[in-house]
Amino acid sequence: MATTAPTLPKEATGRPAGPRTRARRPGDELAGYLFLSPWILGILLLTLGPMVTSLYLSFTDYSLFTAPEWVGLDNYRRMFDDARWLKSVQVTAIYVAVAVPVKLAAALAVALLLNNKRKGQGFYRAAFYGPSLIGASVSLAIVWKALFTDDAVVDRALRAVGIHTGGWAGNPDFSLLMLVLLGAWQLGAPMVIFLAGLKQVPVELHEAAHVDGAGRWRRFRSITLPMISPVVFFNLLLETINAFQVFTSAYIVGGPNGSPAGTTLFYTIYLYDRGFSDFRMGYASAMAWMLLLGVGLITLFLFRTARGWVYYSGDKR
Amino acid sequence: MKLSTVAWHAGVIAVLVVVLYPIVWVVAATFKPSADIIGNLSLLPTEPTTGNYERAVEGMAGISIGRFFWNSTVLAVLSVVGTVASSALAGYAFARLRFRGRGAMFALMISTLLLPFHVLIIPQYAVFQKLDLIDTYVPLLLGKFLAAEAFFVFLMVQFMRTIPHELDESAKIDGAGHWGTFWHIILPLARPALITTAIFTFIWSWNDFFGPLIYLSTPDKYPLPLALQLFVDEASGSDFGALMAMSVLALVPVVLFFLFFQRFLVEGVSTSGLKG
Amino acid sequence: MGVMKRFTTVLAAASLLFAVAACGGDDEAESGPVTLRYSWWGNADRAALMQKAIDLFQTKNPDIKITPSFQEFEAYWQKMATDTAGGNAPDVLQMDFAYLREYADRGVLYDLKKQQGSLGLDDLLEGLKGAGEVDGGQYGVPVGGNTWGYVYSPAAYAKAGVPEPKLGWTWNDYRSAMEKITRSTGGKMYGGGNYIGTYYNLEVQLRQEGKLLYTEDGKLGFDKPRLAKFFTEGKQLADADIVLPVDKGVQIKPKFALELDLIAGELGWDNFMARYAAATKTELKLGPVPSDNPAQLGQYLKPAMLLSVSARSKHPEQSAKLIDFMINDPEVGAIFGANRGLPATNAQRAAVQLEGPLATVAAYEESIKGQLEKAPPAPPKGAGTIEQAFIRISEELQYGRIGVDQAVDQFFTEAAETLES
Repeated sequence: MATTAPTLPKEATGRPAGPRTRARRPGDELAGYLFLSPWILGILLLTLGPMVTSLYLSFTDYSLFTAPEWVGLDNYRRMFDDARWLKSVQVTAIYVAVAVPVKLAAALAVALLLNNKRKGQGFYRAAFYGPSLIGASVSLAIVWKALFTDDAVVDRALRAVGIHTGGWAGNPDFSLLMLVLLGAWQLGAPMVIFLAGLKQVPVELHEAAHVDGAGRWRRFRSITLPMISPVVFFNLLLETINAFQVFTSAYIVGGPNGSPAGTTLFYTIYLYDRGFSDFRMGYASAMAWMLLLGVGLITLFLFRTARGWVYYSGDKR
Repeated sequence: MKLSTVAWHAGVIAVLVVVLYPIVWVVAATFKPSADIIGNLSLLPTEPTTGNYERAVEGMAGISIGRFFWNSTVLAVLSVVGTVASSALAGYAFARLRFRGRGAMFALMISTLLLPFHVLIIPQYAVFQKLDLIDTYVPLLLGKFLAAEAFFVFLMVQFMRTIPHELDESAKIDGAGHWGTFWHIILPLARPALITTAIFTFIWSWNDFFGPLIYLSTPDKYPLPLALQLFVDEASGSDFGALMAMSVLALVPVVLFFLFFQRFLVEGVSTSGLKG
Repeated sequence: MGVMKRFTTVLAAASLLFAVAACGGDDEAESGPVTLRYSWWGNADRAALMQKAIDLFQTKNPDIKITPSFQEFEAYWQKMATDTAGGNAPDVLQMDFAYLREYADRGVLYDLKKQQGSLGLDDLLEGLKGAGEVDGGQYGVPVGGNTWGYVYSPAAYAKAGVPEPKLGWTWNDYRSAMEKITRSTGGKMYGGGNYIGTYYNLEVQLRQEGKLLYTEDGKLGFDKPRLAKFFTEGKQLADADIVLPVDKGVQIKPKFALELDLIAGELGWDNFMARYAAATKTELKLGPVPSDNPAQLGQYLKPAMLLSVSARSKHPEQSAKLIDFMINDPEVGAIFGANRGLPATNAQRAAVQLEGPLATVAAYEESIKGQLEKAPPAPPKGAGTIEQAFIRISEELQYGRIGVDQAVDQFFTEAAETLES
C-alpha cells in the first residue's frame, strides 16, 4: 500500500483545528448516516426522550409518585435562595479547579514515564492502573479513611517531617483535599488515554528531530505535545465534565450529607439527595439543567480555545 | 544494565510504593478478623485469618459466588463488544465523513455528557418498563450497542481525526469504499483507541452498581457489585471482612483483562507500520 | 453496495446477542399459581432466613409463588423510589416507619383494612397496635419492634467508681457520669458520644416532658428555645471535652465508637445491642434511658420495620396472606429470631428462643413494659429529610462551625421548607 510519510507542519500549534468544511463527496452523505445509525437510534430511543422529559420536569413540582405540576421558573428561582445549593456550587467549583489539573498532570507524567519500551512495562502499567480497577466501592471508602485517621500512615509521615495536622478524615478543612488525592490516585483512565495517544506519535518524527539535534524538552514541546493535543484536549474536557459531576467517590466517603460538616456536599450529591431522599425530582431536574448550562458554557469555551492549540493531523488543510 | 535504567526503575518503584500502599492495605485487611479492620492501625494482621475468604466464597441466599462472577462476565463482555463496535462506527462518521447535520449531532452528543444521570434514571426506566424489559440485561446493554456512551464516541473521534487523510485518499484510489476504508485503514490505525475503549468498558461495566441496582431485581441475575453490598447491614453490623475479601477476588478478572489488553498498547501502532 | 450488506450483518449479530441477553424474562403463567414480587432490605443472613420462610409459605400455599428481591437499606430505597415512580412497585414491600407516610400519602400503598379477612392483627403487641396506620388506613403492618435504651460497659463504670445507671437516673446524672469516666481515664476513654447528634434523643426528652417530636397534624412539636436548650447541652459537653470529639466519631464511620471501645456507653435503639456485642470483646449491658421525670420514660415500641402492599398489586388478597404469615406464624418467628427486631406479635415472641445479647434486649423490654407508651403517629412527609438536616446541623455545631442560635435558626428554616410542601 502506498502511503505518504506524515510530516509535521511548522504551524502545528498555531493553526486553528476545528472541524473543517470541505466539498462533500458523493456517497459521504448516505455513508455518514449509515455509520451513525446505531448512535442515531440510541439517541432517539434512549437519550433524547429522557433528556426532554427531565427538562420538562424542571419546570414542575414532581414528587416521583404523583403527576408533575407546572410551576414555571420557580425551581430555578429558588436555587439562588437555597444556601445548600450555593454551598454545593462552591464546593464543586473548588474541587474542579484543583482536582482536574492535579489529576491530569499526574496522569501525563506517569504516561510519559511508562511510554518507552522497558522491562516490566506491563507490570508497571497495571500497578499504576490498579487503583482505578477498584472502582468506588465500600472497600475504597474504608481504606481511604483508614489512611487518613489520627495516627495512621499519612499522619505519621507528616509528623515525621514536622507537620502536625492530626487525621484528615475527621477534619472539615482537609476533607476536600482527601477527595482530590483520591481522584489523582485513580488516574488510570487519563493515563491509558495518554499512553494510547503517545503510541500514535509517529516514531519518524522523533528520529528526524533527534537528527536535527533537538533536545528532549524541545522534542516534547514541539513534537509530542502537539501530536497528542487531541488526546490532551479529550482528557481535559472529559475530566472537567466528570469532576463537575463527581458523585460516587464523594458519596461513599462523605455520605448524602457531605460529611464532615457539609464540606463534601458536591453538586450531584445535593441533586441526588433532593431527587431521591426528598422526593423533589422537579427541583433536582432544574439543578441538572442549571449544571448543563454552566458546564456547557465551559465546554464551549474549551472547544473555542482548542482551535488554537489542538492539532489534528488527519484534518484536511 | 545501564545506570539510567537502574535509576528509572528505582524512581518508578519509589512512586509505586506510595501508589500501591492502599492496595496492599486492602489485601492485608482481608486477612484481619472482620471486627479489626476499622480502627486497627497496623498494616499487617496480628492474628491472620482466612475466615473472610471462606465467608466470601460461601455465596449468599443459595446463590453461589460463581453465579455472580458469571453474571458480571456476561455483562462486561457484551458491553465491550457493543461499545467498541458502535463507538467505532459513530466515531468514523463524525471524524471522517461530511454530511448534513454533522455539527449539530456532534454538539448533541457532547451535551449528553453534561446532564447528571440521576435525573435521567426515571424517564429511562419508564421507557424500559413500557417495553417490558425490566429485570433483564437489555437495559444495561442496549445503550452499549447503540453508542449511547458519548465518552467513547468522542474518544474515537479524537483518535480517528489524527490519522492522516492521505491514507484514505490512497485507499479510495485503490477502489475501496467507505466500509473498506473504515475496516482496512481506520480500524487498524485506531487500535489504541479500540483497546482503550475495551479496557474501560470492561472495568466500568464490572464495577457498575447503579445500573444493575435499578434494572435488576431477581437476585440470581445480580452482578458482583450488587452481591457485595449484601455484606452491609446497619442494624446487625456489616461484615467488612468478607466484603473486602470478595472485592479482592472480584479484582482478579479485571486485573487479568487489563494485563492481557494493555500489551496491545505497548506494542502500539505507528503509521510507519503500513509502509511498503 | 458493500456498506449496506455489512451493516445488516452487524445488526443481525447485535440482535442475536440481545436475544441471548434477554432470555430469562418473566415467565408468568396466565393461569395457575399467582406470582407475588416481594422486596426487602437486608444482608445475606436475612436473605437466607427469608428464603426458608418463603419456602415454608409456598409449601403451605401451593397456589402462590414468591419472587424475592433484596438490597442493602440505602440501595433498597433508591430502587424502591424508581420502581414506584415507574409504576412497577413489587406486590409486597418492606417499609420503614420514617417513609410510611411518604409513600402512603402519595397513594402508592394499598389500604390493608380491605383485607381484614386474610390478615390478622389482633395478636400484635399492645404498643404496636395501630402502628402502621396513616389517617385511618392500614398502610403497613409492623414486623418487629424496638425501643430506646442505654448500652454501656459496666467495667468502665466500675473503673471510674460511678454507680451503674438504674431506673430513675436523670440527664444530669448521665452527664456527670460521662464526665467522671472521661476524667478518670484522662481522655483515653470518653464517657459517651455527644447525644445531640441523634434526633431521637431530642424526641425522648420531649416525650418525657409530655410533648411530641411531631404533632398530630404533622408540625414540629417543639419551639426554638427548646431546641436551643438541647443544643446548648451538647455544646457545653463538647466544649468541656466530656464527650467523644466529633472528628473522632467521623473518622471511624461506618463503625460506632462503642464497637471500638472509645466510649463507655451510648443511647440508641436497643436492638443495636446485638451489633455492639458482636463487635467488641467488652461486656455490655442495657440500661434505662435517663429521665428528669421519674413517671415518664418517654419511650415507645417503634416498628422496626413494616410490611406494605403496593396499590398497583393485582393480588392484594394473596399479598395480605403473605404478610399475615410473616407476622403471625410461630414457625416464621422461630426462623428469624430477632433478625427483624424482636417480633411484633405475641405468638412469634413466644416462639423465639433468645440467647446472649438478644436475651438481654428481651429482658430489657420486659423490664420497662409497663412504661412503654403507644407509638406516635407515622412521622410527616419529609421526616427523613428533617432528620438528615438535624444530623448535619448538629455536626456543624459540634465542629464549632456555627453557634447554637445559628444552628437552631438553620434547622427551623430547613424544617419549615420541607414541611410546607
